[in-house]
Amino acid sequence: MSDDSRLPMKAENLREGIHLGPVFYIIDADQVKRFTTALRDPNPAFDPARDEHAFVPPTMRLQDYALLIATQFKGGKGGVHAKHWCEFHAPMRVGQAIRAEGTITATFRKRGKFYFTLEYEQHDAASGELLMRQAITSVLLNEKGEMK
Amino acid sequence: MSGTHAIAVGDQRTSQPYLLDADAAEAYGRALDSPRRRRPPKNIHSDPDAAAKAGFTAPIAAGEQTVAVIGQFLAAEFGMRFLRGGRIDVSLTRPVLYGDTLVSHALADREDAELLHLKIWVENQSGDRVLEGTATLRRDA
Repeated sequence: MSDDSRLPMKAENLREGIHLGPVFYIIDADQVKRFTTALRDPNPAFDPARDEHAFVPPTMRLQDYALLIATQFKGGKGGVHAKHWCEFHAPMRVGQAIRAEGTITATFRKRGKFYFTLEYEQHDAASGELLMRQAITSVLLNEKGEMK
Repeated sequence: MSGTHAIAVGDQRTSQPYLLDADAAEAYGRALDSPRRRRPPKNIHSDPDAAAKAGFTAPIAAGEQTVAVIGQFLAAEFGMRFLRGGRIDVSLTRPVLYGDTLVSHALADREDAELLHLKIWVENQSGDRVLEGTATLRRDA
C-alpha cells in the first residue's frame, strides 16, 4: 500500500492557486562545473576552481519547476516548454542554501492544447533574500503523450 | 565580474555558435540532476515514439537548454548589469533537434532612465528562429 498522496499530473488536477514546495537545496560546485561544461561556457565568473563562492550561471536553476511539480504531482507524460520569463534579482553563489517555491497561476486551453503557468521564486534559505523570480508556461501532454 | 560591454540603442551582439547535439543534451541533463528531477522515463527528449505522439519528427532538445544558451550569452556580454536586475521573457517558437547549431542575438532596442531594453532571439543553422523575446539590463554598471 502506497503512502504517496500526490495527484496524477494531468489537466483536470491542475488549477490556479495550487502552491508547490518549498524545496531546499545547496548549490553544488560540481553542478556548476557540469553546467558550464555542457554549455561550453568559459566565463571565469562561474568557475568554482577560481572562487569557492563563484556565481551560479543565471539559468542553471530554471528546472526547479520540475522539483516543485514533484512535490504535489506524480506521473504524467511531461510537457513542451512554450514560454519562460526570469527576473534576476541577485546571483546565486556556490555553497548557498536555496529555498524554492511556486504557485500555478494560470491554466487554459488554446487551439486544443492544455497550458499551465507556474510562477516560482528562489530565495536564500537563511536570509530570505529574493534571488530569482520566474515563470514557465508549458503545454501539458495528455495521458497518451499527445499535445491535446 | 565586469562583463559590461558598452552597447547603444541600435547595436547588435551575436554569440559564437553552439552545437546542441546529443552529447551536449546529455551533458546538460546530467548537470541538472542535482537534486534529481521528475522526468518520464520515455519522453519527447529521448524517445522517438514519445516525440512522434507529441507531433515532432524526432526527439527534441529541452527548451530550457536553449534558454540557458542565450542566458549564458547575455551574462558574458553584460555581466552584473544582467545578473543583478536583468530580465528575460522568451517564447520557444520552434523545436530544436539534436545536431542543430544555435546562434544567439541581442539588439539594443530602446532605453529609459534605468533600463536598456533588448530584443533577443536564437536562430538555428537554417536561420529559423527557435526562441524570441526580450531582455532588460540595468543601464548603470
